[in-house]
Amino acid sequence: MNFSRRIAWVFWRNMVSYKRFVLTTFLASLIQPLFYLVTFGIGMGAYLGQFGGKPYLYFLVPGVLTTSVMMSSSFECMYGTFVKMIHEKLYDSLIATPVSAEDAVAGDIAWGAFRGLVSGSLMMIVAIFMGILPVSLLSVLLLVLLMVFVGVLFGSLAMIVTSFAPNFDFFNYYSELVITPMLFFSGVFFPLDRFPGWMKALAQFMPLTHAVAVARAIFNGDYSRGLLLNFLVIFILGGAAFYFGVRRMKKRLIK
Amino acid sequence: MKTIISARRLCKKYGAFVAVDGISFDIEEGECFGFLGPNGAGKTSTVRMIHCVSPLTSGTLIVDGQAAHVDNRAVKQQTGVIPQEITLDSDLTVRENLQVHAHFFAIPRREARRRIDGLLQFVELEKRRDSKIDQLSTGMKRRLLIARALLNQPRILIADEPTTGLDPQARHLIWQRLRQLKDQGATLILTTQYMEEAQQLCDRIVIMHQGRILKEGAPARLIAAEIGREVTEIRSAADQDESLVAELGPLARGHERAGDTLYFYCDDGRPLMKKVLELDLPATVHRPASLEDVFLKLTGRNLVE
Ligand SMILES: Nc1ncnc2c1ncn2[C@@H]1O[C@H](COP(=O)(O)OP(=O)(O)OP(=O)(O)O)[C@@H](O)[C@H]1O
Ligand SMILES: [Mg+2]
Repeated sequence: MNFSRRIAWVFWRNMVSYKRFVLTTFLASLIQPLFYLVTFGIGMGAYLGQFGGKPYLYFLVPGVLTTSVMMSSSFECMYGTFVKMIHEKLYDSLIATPVSAEDAVAGDIAWGAFRGLVSGSLMMIVAIFMGILPVSLLSVLLLVLLMVFVGVLFGSLAMIVTSFAPNFDFFNYYSELVITPMLFFSGVFFPLDRFPGWMKALAQFMPLTHAVAVARAIFNGDYSRGLLLNFLVIFILGGAAFYFGVRRMKKRLIK
Repeated sequence: MKTIISARRLCKKYGAFVAVDGISFDIEEGECFGFLGPNGAGKTSTVRMIHCVSPLTSGTLIVDGQAAHVDNRAVKQQTGVIPQEITLDSDLTVRENLQVHAHFFAIPRREARRRIDGLLQFVELEKRRDSKIDQLSTGMKRRLLIARALLNQPRILIADEPTTGLDPQARHLIWQRLRQLKDQGATLILTTQYMEEAQQLCDRIVIMHQGRILKEGAPARLIAAEIGREVTEIRSAADQDESLVAELGPLARGHERAGDTLYFYCDDGRPLMKKVLELDLPATVHRPASLEDVFLKLTGRNLVE
């Protein structure tokens, strides 16, 4: 692995290009989560009443927020990276400079994580305007930190997918077979404890489950010892996915 | 002169396919060295190993005293690359393309600004500095690629078919710029399929074919050695070859049939032309020998791929 500070300049390149379509991405990354908040939160929330002593939205918001981080960072590192790699040949011009393939890929994972952070933060702001507040300022800061980790995790996982992708259609498999099931079986909308045992066990294999658990605890300020394990999963899986994502992409880029 | 790039038994395989098949060459500092070859000859594969973006399969390759390998940032830092494909960043403007690139070479901001202004002028794109890439013509894109390749003031400039797809004006502008750079002392490595380009720019060339080097030398010398000074082309049916060669063969250095044409190579074409007139052959062209003749003679006059 051959990393250097040029990772920051690869990130910067994305920033320069981002300034042109930042507003449209704001809209795009807000619409789906808002949809969840309205249909599930306000619509269903009315029937659900209290959830662990608080309105349902306090349960839902951290879940949706984490989901939107996952979505943004995943899509950025799939579609965004694929376009840059295949259609625009951007990686070819990057690695002809002192930027190494590792720098280029790491810079794009960092970028994916940043996009996730932006989406998640927007969600948080919307929630705050709806009157659903994290318990303290410290929670806000911890959530931001968590979003970065979650962004790196899902950005890296997506990067692994991209390293194998022959074309755009390939990403549908990942979206349909991995992302969508996670959305429904990771405790984003309902607590996992009402699920049958095998489903609970399955949920433990979904990275989103752990991310949502930590986000929800931070948001509502009810920490428990089990969270350490959740966080370790995010951290270790994130590190491993980052390593393999970079390695696989390097293999694809350097021929 | 000092040797700046030196390759020995250099090999490149993609899977089982051999793209570069054990070639050796030396490039001197400050010269313009050309790789000529038909499509698929292995030119791009070779230069990509030189500028350290493609690993060698075997052999040795020394660039400015260092072994070339994909993680060699020092070589990349002092090399400029005009790639065969247009790899501009289409999300950015002309100027932003250069600014972003300057960061990758760790050029300080103010110095970068100065160089970018100078380079945009050099490639005559000052007026397009704020254009998006897709608003540029192919010629402008190629010129921008040159500007980008020069940002780090490279000692070694690699130009991989820099004028493909350009009109004559744009091509001549690019040739002038490349010559200027050479005059400033840069080592220039050019790949091309255009013989005129090689004759215009290169001090020495190698002719590559199917991953091997067939011939090496200065363009004029190669022409003299392989073809002679003049070429006579006679359009004729293949069944006349025997009689034509019997009449004209002794007056030429060699002959070759390709498609509907019989080629005679000579150092002094006058006796042969006299004979041609005597025989009253129509559809005959007599012209000076060119690098193209050498190229076609060595790589075959028929389609390779
Ligand atoms: N990444 C790759 N994977 C597999 N084969 C490759 C790859 N790159 C090049 N080749 C093959 O290697 C051979 C040499 O290619 P190369 O691009 O070096 O030729 P070239 O002389 O630059 O040709 P052209 O004039 O068309 O650019 C070709 O047959 C090509 O198909
Ligand atoms: Mg080529």
